Amino acid sequence: MLQKVLQALEETQGPVSLDELSRQLELDVGVLEGMIDFWVRKGKLKDSRLAACAGGCGNCNPGAQGCTFDRGRPRSITLT
Amino acid sequence: MTSFALTPSLRMTYASPIEVELTRLSEALGHCPDLVARYPMRWLAIQLLEGDTLLQAEVERLGGSVASEALAASRMRLETHYGEDLDVAMVDQRYRFVHDLAAQALTRPKTPSLTMSDRVDRIVTNRWLGIPIFLGLMWVVFKLTTDVAAPFVDWIDAVLTGPVSHWITSLLSITGLSGGWLESLLIDGVIAGVGGVLVFIPVLFSLYFALAILEDSGYMARSAFVMDRLMHRLGLHGKSFLPMVVGFGCSVPAIYATRTLENERDRILTGLLVPFMSCSARLPVYVLVAAIFFPTMAGLVIFGLYLTGILVAIGLGMLLKRTLFGNELPTPFVIELPPYRLPTLRNIWHQMWERTSAFLQHAWTIILGTSMVVWLLLALPVSGEGSFADTDVDQSAFAAVSGVMTPVFAPLGFGSWETSGALLTGFVAKEVVVSTMIQVYNVPGAEEEEVGATTIGEDLLAIGGGFLSATGDALKALPSIIGINLAAEEDEQAPDGLTGAIRQGFDASSGGHGALAALAFLVFVLLYTPCMVAVAAARQEFGSRWMWVSIIGQFVIAWLAALIVFQGGRFFL
Repeated sequence: MLQKVLQALEETQGPVSLDELSRQLELDVGVLEGMIDFWVRKGKLKDSRLAACAGGCGNCNPGAQGCTFDRGRPRSITLT
Repeated sequence: MTSFALTPSLRMTYASPIEVELTRLSEALGHCPDLVARYPMRWLAIQLLEGDTLLQAEVERLGGSVASEALAASRMRLETHYGEDLDVAMVDQRYRFVHDLAAQALTRPKTPSLTMSDRVDRIVTNRWLGIPIFLGLMWVVFKLTTDVAAPFVDWIDAVLTGPVSHWITSLLSITGLSGGWLESLLIDGVIAGVGGVLVFIPVLFSLYFALAILEDSGYMARSAFVMDRLMHRLGLHGKSFLPMVVGFGCSVPAIYATRTLENERDRILTGLLVPFMSCSARLPVYVLVAAIFFPTMAGLVIFGLYLTGILVAIGLGMLLKRTLFGNELPTPFVIELPPYRLPTLRNIWHQMWERTSAFLQHAWTIILGTSMVVWLLLALPVSGEGSFADTDVDQSAFAAVSGVMTPVFAPLGFGSWETSGALLTGFVAKEVVVSTMIQVYNVPGAEEEEVGATTIGEDLLAIGGGFLSATGDALKALPSIIGINLAAEEDEQAPDGLTGAIRQGFDASSGGHGALAALAFLVFVLLYTPCMVAVAAARQEFGSRWMWVSIIGQFVIAWLAALIVFQGGRFFL
């Protein structure tokens, strides 16, 4: 089952939404999220949420939740 | 005493090789009382076989070499079955177990019912409708930032150039400091410079309002999804558009956001393209110049500039991908589309305030500092008979320094020292282009309307009345977003001091083609070298070589694009 997630991503042409992928794999989105998190921990997938702006940005005022502009960026997951 | 324990009627069992080792390892670990007292043995064995390093250290500490050797032996035996991926096999078996259990226990409809988000997505992310909807929403955003925010821009401008300047002059007069360089510094430096940028807070406020609604409602992720798909079809890395979405706010976090791209080449390519997305700092420049030269279609001009930025980025990306960066197939990826929801006032306000306060912080540091340096250079005479803070700006040190760049911009129609100087200071921060223009085009006495002596109470009443009037005008401007004009047509007004001076300046430098030169100037501002903070971010992320490529490359592209606009426009007009 876990391998199917990687395989589906490898075979996908272009960006795919999490919902689309869950329908394709016939899995609940919650289950798929768990599988994705596992592969992220294993280093096979990369989650954009874990690569936040860490620069000394003179133009923004990073609050407790990080850069205010960066928070508008949608989350994405990619094969490494 | 009787104790009751809830025991699961169904027990999760792994494949037999794993079960055998789990039993062996549990027994070995069971000889250590410290471990038995702290952990359930089967659970501990599972965690250890899956490679939990923290627990492994704990077992070594409490269980000694016997436990560690038992673990190593179990792992070695299982590796003959599963290789390095023992943890993958174990987690996979758990997922299978839960999946099978759920399949037996749950009855699902053959065709899952569509949620509201699914239904909306069928339209919003539709292959053919997605991009027109995205462009339509962008249009609404820019109408909001120009037409609806304009009355508040005028109101703040009137407050700063009227009562606030008046109060400062009066205060200096009371303290016996009027008429000197200090008054010039405060009025021509701070008020004209920082105030000139603060005037555009309503513009940024409405931009951040629109962005907050798009983000909070869940649409922003869809826009990235739709644009990604387009970019993917064009052979670009679709994921590149995700940092670009951030670039509409600020280029700096957008450059850092390229870290999400796994391939070094894609990261650099996206980093080079991100600054073409028009950041919010450039918006005040567009609003100022578009309002002067294209008052009836400022929204359209600004919308066109944002679109130009996207098209240039895509076009350049395709060119670089086919040349310098190789034509590898883009890596597919998953994007999370959050469910649509009604934006909350609290969230919208929070985002608007956070972003606007970041801008204010910027205004009181970088913009204030640059405005004072510009004032100092404008106050220093290098020719003529003027004295410090009492010299013709044409004869100032700033005019002399900026004049060096004038020949570079002459073919673009804006080869005057005023615009050259504004563009030079724009390297510090893009908002500074506005503050410098207001300082250099400042016509003494033209901004301050001659009014009779007023009391503070009367000033405050006028400020309050002006705000109410601006609110009324903004409400009347709202229907203009969908093409209904409720505002009374205003007679063509004679340009005020600043507007007139800027018009005259562009007319003079372009041989009478002021509007065309202004359009070329806007295109140049859109595309030219990013601000120094963005440049520093590019250096940190991609190294000095690519930083210079970005600085020089963008300057050349901006110059060529402005040349095409101005010279091409002259050819056809």
